[in-house]
Amino acid sequence: MTIHFLPNERRINWLTRLAGGHNLFLPFKVNSSVHWVRFDKGNFDINALALKEIRAAEPIKPFLFSPRERVALFPEPLEEPAAETPALLFGVKGCDLRGLAVHKIMFQEGEFADPFYSKRLKETILIGADCPEPKDSCFCNLVGLKPYVVEGVDLVVSVIDEGWLVEVLSEKGAKLIAGEDWRPASENQIDKRNAQRQEAEAVLQRRNPKPLNPNLPQAIAEKTNDDKFWAEAAQDCVECFGCLMTCPTCFCFLLYDQAKGDKVERTRVWDACYMAMYARVGGGANPRAKFLKRFINRFHCKFMHGKNLHGFYFCSGCGRCFTACMGKIDIRNIIGRL
Amino acid sequence: MKNPYQPIPTKILNVIEETPNIRTFVLKPEQEIPFLAGQFVELTIPGFGEAPFTPSSSHFEREVLEMTIMRVGRATGALFTKKPGDLLGIRGPYGRPYPLQEFEGRDIYIVGGGVGLAPLRALLLALVHDINKYGRIFLRYGARTPKDIVYKKQLKEWEKIKKVDIELSVDSADEPWERKVGVVTCLMDEIPCDVKKSVAVVCGPPIMMKFVTKKLLDAGFPGKSIYLSMEMNMSCGLGQCGHCRLGPYFTCKDGPVLTWEQIKDIEEPFL
Ligand SMILES: Cc1cc2nc3c(=O)[nH]c(=O)nc-3n(C[C@H](O)[C@H](O)[C@H](O)COP(=O)(O)OP(=O)(O)OC[C@H]3O[C@@H](n4cnc5c(N)ncnc54)[C@H](O)[C@@H]3O)c2cc1C
Ligand code: SF4
Ligand code: SF4
Ligand code: SF4
Ligand code: FES
Repeated sequence: MTIHFLPNERRINWLTRLAGGHNLFLPFKVNSSVHWVRFDKGNFDINALALKEIRAAEPIKPFLFSPRERVALFPEPLEEPAAETPALLFGVKGCDLRGLAVHKIMFQEGEFADPFYSKRLKETILIGADCPEPKDSCFCNLVGLKPYVVEGVDLVVSVIDEGWLVEVLSEKGAKLIAGEDWRPASENQIDKRNAQRQEAEAVLQRRNPKPLNPNLPQAIAEKTNDDKFWAEAAQDCVECFGCLMTCPTCFCFLLYDQAKGDKVERTRVWDACYMAMYARVGGGANPRAKFLKRFINRFHCKFMHGKNLHGFYFCSGCGRCFTACMGKIDIRNIIGRL
Repeated sequence: MKNPYQPIPTKILNVIEETPNIRTFVLKPEQEIPFLAGQFVELTIPGFGEAPFTPSSSHFEREVLEMTIMRVGRATGALFTKKPGDLLGIRGPYGRPYPLQEFEGRDIYIVGGGVGLAPLRALLLALVHDINKYGRIFLRYGARTPKDIVYKKQLKEWEKIKKVDIELSVDSADEPWERKVGVVTCLMDEIPCDVKKSVAVVCGPPIMMKFVTKKLLDAGFPGKSIYLSMEMNMSCGLGQCGHCRLGPYFTCKDGPVLTWEQIKDIEEPFL
């Protein structure tokens, strides 16, 4: 589709317009890391905007799949999800989208679509951004992704010196740039963008040169009972669950009920398969009472069943899990040895 | 918009004391729950949460729904304080029913243990309803002691049905008992059907399922003809929350009944 150019001095205007009617979130440099911050025109330092940096510390997951959400009431029903101001996420990375692909399968494609997730996703606008500067933690190239976005968003922004290139990928996206003083991007500008993209891919290739075992699911299946391998992989794990709570693709949740007077409120919260009680059944039996079994479960989920059943790894290569890890366990090393 | 987490208000019509810690709850949901034998529901015990249970009544009976429940912990403990007239919630049905069409024309060899007879009762009632469609029906059922046997009256009724053959055992008999003593596998030394052409259906505690499955395989039942009710922890019942994962399956969506063929390569399928 078409690629447009927005000079630097017009960026704020455009963002201000986008913020009308939406909760506009952008990646900002806060101290030394990048976080999603709500756009506030009165308190906005465009120099802290971190579009060129890698993905934010936190995934976009909570914008769509809330960490804690009321999902039912009893006995009077809760039929409609609460109305919220739709979000506009500006600067979504390629790896962020892998999380959405997983959640689409889990929450929307089964027999019982989740109305809370579906409603938010439908109303959310996604604007992608390239990653011209991949970092040490990035390994999207190993799981079949690119350090730039080519689909799954409404617009894609690429930063070049003199401004932003904006590629339109959907009709929703086309509307977002209507009315602004846009110029078509020049060939020279598009070449610049493409060169940046290639360079980013080359950086990732240098950082993560060894591809994953093409038969990784099979390799994991065969290693399942190799306690020595897993014990070594997990030896520095302190069971803090940070890796799972920060993971953009993890989807596990728990429903719990609370009495509120003579009514009951049902809440859905994120859960994590590393928790000891996660698989415990009535009366106390627990198929994954041993931590190693829980540790392996994550690898089965992301790198075996995900790939076997849906054709792609349930991992985005975002590196958040080991950035968060108390034990400095790099998942790349584990799957790299399989 | 349909909210899959929303339970349907359900009145308790009656509570039947089956054994000291198993009761059958006769329930009337405000809306029909169109379950088929083998499917389960999530039962809300207001204020205490939800737990998965399999209806034990006939799926041809749509007005009321029975569930036979053992008291094991928090939610079931709270349920046991409930009386006729009290309100519960139900959502479902979930999971896949027994593939009754595939059972047609074949002998059906059913093995149950303890409260595991509950889902099997729904199956048995469905089979008996169309008894001419199936071959012979064998039920082998074991409980800990004579006191722990559920559905005592109905077992006597079913025994009278032509084509239905029932044998019972108890692990230990602390009161007069005329039938076998021993774990349920002691009823399986002779299997009176053509194992290659029959189906086996098993439901009970994990340890029992493990030994029964072994016996069935040794007797020559093909793995794809052995149907097992897998109990995993469940939260959503919808195939979304991940809790019930068993190898590549989500027990709530792909099960709860899975064949031995499906699960044989999963490490320690029986907990
Ligand atoms: C498909 C299916 C059908 C079942 N059918 C029957 C039946 O017909 N009759 C019967 O007596 N029992 C049945 N069970 C077992 C029954 O669900 C458990 O005994 C019950 O959940 C125990 O709840 P509790 O809170 O009293 O136990 P606790 O030991 O107090 O459990 C504490 C908590 O652990 C979780 N938990 C424990 N066990 C389970 C479980 N199995 N599934 C989900 N979460 C769990 C819950 O959050 C529960 O509140 C079935 C289980 C499954 C999976
Ligand atoms: S993992 Fe890839 S897509 Fe994600 S931030 Fe790093 S370079 Fe970008
Ligand atoms: S497993 Fe780690 S690298 Fe993969 S998506 Fe989750 S947080 Fe990112
Ligand atoms: S973040 Fe690291 S230490 Fe914490 S649970 Fe995950 S692997 Fe273990
Ligand atoms: S119970 Fe939630 S996925 Fe099966």
